[in-house]
Amino acid sequence: MAPPGVADAELIARVVVHDDRHAFSELVRRYQSPIRATLRRMTAGNHALADDLAQETFLLAYRNLKSFRHEARFPTWLHRIATNAFLADARKRKEELLGDRDGDVVDDEDGDGLDAGGAGDGHERAASLKLDLERAMATLSEAERAAIVQCYHNDLTHEEAAYVLDCPVGTVKTHVLRAKQKLKLRLAAWNPEPDATA
Amino acid sequence: MNSDPTMNTRPAADPADWLDSALAADGGSHRDAYLDDAGFTARVMAVLPAPATLPAWRKPALSVLWAVAGLGAALALPTAATDVARELFRLAAHPVSLLEISAAIAALGAISWAGAAYVLRQD
Repeated sequence: MAPPGVADAELIARVVVHDDRHAFSELVRRYQSPIRATLRRMTAGNHALADDLAQETFLLAYRNLKSFRHEARFPTWLHRIATNAFLADARKRKEELLGDRDGDVVDDEDGDGLDAGGAGDGHERAASLKLDLERAMATLSEAERAAIVQCYHNDLTHEEAAYVLDCPVGTVKTHVLRAKQKLKLRLAAWNPEPDATA
Repeated sequence: MNSDPTMNTRPAADPADWLDSALAADGGSHRDAYLDDAGFTARVMAVLPAPATLPAWRKPALSVLWAVAGLGAALALPTAATDVARELFRLAAHPVSLLEISAAIAALGAISWAGAAYVLRQD
């Protein structure tokens, strides 16, 4: 079995050359957490769907490992596959996802935004903001949410995000800008200086 | 993907922007959190395609082919050796010219070079 200290490139070579299942399981173990967490974010907290997509991601990675040319880091390549899987699935289930969102998340389309949580200590306030942020994220389009997740949650540069999202850098910037505008509108109650932004 | 780090741009993380701060804080907690495997790796490994296995008839078929090749070589080699010896003797009796030797070396070189180029070609 491959020890945890073995470099990704060596594990990948073992999988490609010898079809080494232990090496591939080490890669899955190594990256399951960030991939599943990213997909949970992109699916707006749908853990079952996120894990299904993560499983599909690793299966696709296994099948296409021979075509991995190291033009990006291995985890970045995995994120690209995961994002493609998410966007493809979102296109298939668009109706269903929109229905869910209409039902239990978006309940104030007229722009009043989410409640700022009122009183409470800093801990409660932070938890409340986190929750509202998650709900507000669910109102974004899939592409906008994916851009925010890659740029803020995965801390990628615009160029890296463009590679992962398989689109031009300008498109990433546009998605991020639009997403932030929507989030600001929806989370207006959390704005400490309401008059400064409109 | 752009490999020049000077060209890479991060989203404008403006500390004065409350939403940027909120997204950055949320992203930080997301990155720090570790999701327990909880059988995920085992589930992935279970759905991988089965390893490619050779058909059962392949090994005996290969053995038969090697045996036939060996038998053929054993039958052909004794006569081949005498043929080569006879030709060498004939060549020694009729010395070849320098031009013929040069032409033979050039032809062998061209064949070797073409063979190497073919084997080492990029697909």
